[in-house]
Amino acid sequence: MTTLGINPEQPQLVDDNYLNHTRGAWSWLFTLDHKRIGVMYLIAVLSAFFVAGVFALLVRTQLLTPGGTIMDQQQYNQAFTLHGGIMVFLVIIPSVPAALGNFVLPIMLGAKDVAFPRLNLFSFWLWIAGALFFVGALLTGGLDTGWTFYTPYSVDSRPEVGSMGGVIPAVTGAFILGFSSIFTGMNFIVTIHRLRPPGMTWFRMPLFLWGIYATAILQVIATPVLGITLALLAVERAFGIGIFDPTLGGDPVLYQHFFWFYSHPAVYIMILPGMAIISDLIAVHSHRHIFGYKFIAFSSIAIALFSFLVWGHHMFTSGQSALVNVIFSAITFSVAIPSAIKVFNWLATMYKGSISWNTPMLYAMGFIFIFTIGGLTGLHLGTLATDVHLHDTYFVVAHFHYVMMGSALIAMIGGLHHWWPKITGRMYNENWGRLGFVLVFIGFNVTFFSQFMLGSQGMPRRYATYPEDAGFQIYHIYSTAGSYILAIGFFVTAGYLAQSIFGGRRAPANPWGGRSLEWQCSSPPPFDNFSEAPAVGDCYDFSVLEWKSEEEGYVWRSDLARPGEETPAGA
Amino acid sequence: MQLLLEPIIMSTLAEATGKTFWMPEAASSVAGEIDWILEFINIICYVFLALITGVLVWFAIRYRRDPNEHTVSAEGPTHGLALELIWTIIPTGLVVAIFWVGMVGYIDLRESPTDSYEVSVTAQQWSWTFNHPEYGVIEGNELHVPLDRPVRLIMGSTDVLHSLFVPAFRVKQDIVPGRYSTLWFKAIKAGHYQLYCTEYCGKDHSKMLATVYVLPEDEFQAKMGKLASEYEDLPDTDLPVYALTRLYNRCSSCHSLNGDNSTGPSFKGLWDRVETGDTVFTNGKTLKDYMGSGGEFEVPENYIRESILNPGKLVRENYANVMPNNFASQLKPRQVEALVLMMKNLDKLADEGWIDEDGKVQTPEQPAADSSATVDPGATEEGG
Repeated sequence: MTTLGINPEQPQLVDDNYLNHTRGAWSWLFTLDHKRIGVMYLIAVLSAFFVAGVFALLVRTQLLTPGGTIMDQQQYNQAFTLHGGIMVFLVIIPSVPAALGNFVLPIMLGAKDVAFPRLNLFSFWLWIAGALFFVGALLTGGLDTGWTFYTPYSVDSRPEVGSMGGVIPAVTGAFILGFSSIFTGMNFIVTIHRLRPPGMTWFRMPLFLWGIYATAILQVIATPVLGITLALLAVERAFGIGIFDPTLGGDPVLYQHFFWFYSHPAVYIMILPGMAIISDLIAVHSHRHIFGYKFIAFSSIAIALFSFLVWGHHMFTSGQSALVNVIFSAITFSVAIPSAIKVFNWLATMYKGSISWNTPMLYAMGFIFIFTIGGLTGLHLGTLATDVHLHDTYFVVAHFHYVMMGSALIAMIGGLHHWWPKITGRMYNENWGRLGFVLVFIGFNVTFFSQFMLGSQGMPRRYATYPEDAGFQIYHIYSTAGSYILAIGFFVTAGYLAQSIFGGRRAPANPWGGRSLEWQCSSPPPFDNFSEAPAVGDCYDFSVLEWKSEEEGYVWRSDLARPGEETPAGA
Repeated sequence: MQLLLEPIIMSTLAEATGKTFWMPEAASSVAGEIDWILEFINIICYVFLALITGVLVWFAIRYRRDPNEHTVSAEGPTHGLALELIWTIIPTGLVVAIFWVGMVGYIDLRESPTDSYEVSVTAQQWSWTFNHPEYGVIEGNELHVPLDRPVRLIMGSTDVLHSLFVPAFRVKQDIVPGRYSTLWFKAIKAGHYQLYCTEYCGKDHSKMLATVYVLPEDEFQAKMGKLASEYEDLPDTDLPVYALTRLYNRCSSCHSLNGDNSTGPSFKGLWDRVETGDTVFTNGKTLKDYMGSGGEFEVPENYIRESILNPGKLVRENYANVMPNNFASQLKPRQVEALVLMMKNLDKLADEGWIDEDGKVQTPEQPAADSSATVDPGATEEGG
């Protein structure tokens, strides 16, 4: 074996890896290497997450007292708009597919890169351009429409009562970000179809790839609708063509249909990759073959398809007919089933496993708890009679934070810890990792569980102030306190992860005992991932590995031939 | 199933209840049914959450790997069709049941009885106007409705999307400009209840609040009669207080009483500015230019009157022409007169304690004049 790093039996740390293969800022900014693009996405997305997080803390601080504490009405409206807009368009949607997916997907597949590396780089620069437009919205008059840009408020440019001046830059930004998302999705679909090496059949793919594949379908099919909708919105605002503006004969509810036709699938663009990560985390850190592989794989596809048919459940009180509401309610419940199937399969995977209580697995178990609450509270909202009361209250806010923040983003953080040794070549401090998880988990639940009661008691969302005698304040105090704990948790996490880059132990090729292909190349991977086709097989069959204490990692069993080899590697 | 559930729900739950852990107090005929459905879903959620969390924690502890051991591969089942079918079919059955009760409850929410008492509602940034055509009464940010009688709201918006939400009644409906939407409820408990706007509508969205007063039938009739004519019967000396306590709430989201300027100029000191004519308009002229002998506002009260009824004609410098121009249809001449008198007497009203330092309208004394005083604080205000 002379190849670099792919021999699991001799995983010497290669000096030449993707991080130092070429040097200089230029070699990063215009790299075609999917790993570097993934890392740049990661830095960009985490930076945006920091900004959006600051807005979240401003929002929470404002609501400590009924009359507000630190902002006036318009500042508050901007804070929640930018928090939501940045989190959705700049953070959660690209977080797993574009950042982690870019890094992991080709390696997992056994490919050297994605199918279209230049398009991949272009996607990244589109993200940067979109982000600049979004920030530009702040500088060109502010943005106070909410991330949903509902008409006619968003096309109303009258001073004082209309929306602020940043609507067109912001929707332009979202439009550009949409293309970034579409190109990433196209790239991944083609990569999965065309670049699988011999032996990597569809049903040998790690479930992470199934999830990313289902997500990519959504990105490609749903996002163009958002692009068209936002283009119409911008034209409406600039020229008054009368599509959405009722004073010109337009229909504001039409905008909601268009918007949710994208934005409901977008919810699954956010959660499917999260579920995909969890499927792999649970199996690897339990050292246990995933239970019900095909059920999990097909449930991803089922969720992707159903998600196109349920957008009307965002509009139960919008004035659409009772019949339409009944139909959308019925279809909405059908999405609950594949999600439930996934949860049960994850639990069954843990049965008789060998469960490591390390940071990625803690995040995975935290995900199951939080996602269960997020999914179950979806029942209250899919049910027509109760949704009428709960719609546009904090119950909805709590529900979608449990799904989008507590599930999608927690899964992303779990995945980040899982692949951190692979990405950076360094191990983080496990005890700090566990502490970070405990703070994030407690902080999250304190912040958002109180919002369920707040909402069902009647507190409307997007309120800068609230009545003193309605009994809301105590829940707001809990929620704000929780958000501070959550923030501390994230700062701790950022701290020990940053520390690991400079002072962490060098990571072995396979610290967790993963069987998918990314654990067969060195940490960090060499520039071209694999110089020789890696050993493809059942990616959840961990029995081919053994622990090697001098490596502090797992290696291919010395008494076992790797697929495609005549004799055991160690013979 | 409908036949099975309806009598149970209707007979046992169509009664007013207090605040619970999850829900605010229930004061409408449908609230009991909604709360029953919510509790039904809750129970399913509790069971599943306990089951999933219990198994999760149990497995995590039972199968925890010794940190010093490096078990490579744990053996366990990798698939099981029977299990997959069980955990597909049971949840499917449950969600079908939830869907069904939710649909039945929703249809009850949507189908208003034919003999409903109708109120037309106008939502605009950022206030509510309630019009009782039967009595010729128009209310601002307050809605009086009869107890135990179905009420149907026919709602329109003059600007952007709004949504009317009364948590105690468990009803909510968006209000879309360019069309009417409706909502009905039957209040079953006298009292006053908070009404919110729940569709984001711009800067002062969170101030777009109103109060619903539910009165027993005879008190409601008396109240309507009073509201229809109270300003006609009042002596002129009481008009400023009437305007402040009964009319100003429709102005309050844009015009403060404490000198703070927001969407519109504050009313505080307004009359002084009118008398001196210092007010500058967006057209570059000052009020003085209109006030001299033979001028349009030779009588300065006419400027106030014109600003209420035709607000776009002269707009103060640094402000936008955004005030609704539909007040002519909402205010009777004597009400306009009352508003003019209110502006002229703001300092006096403040001295008498009607306005506090923050510019909030107060009730200095509580004359026990009105029989509905216990449930309707608004009714006591105009007694003074």
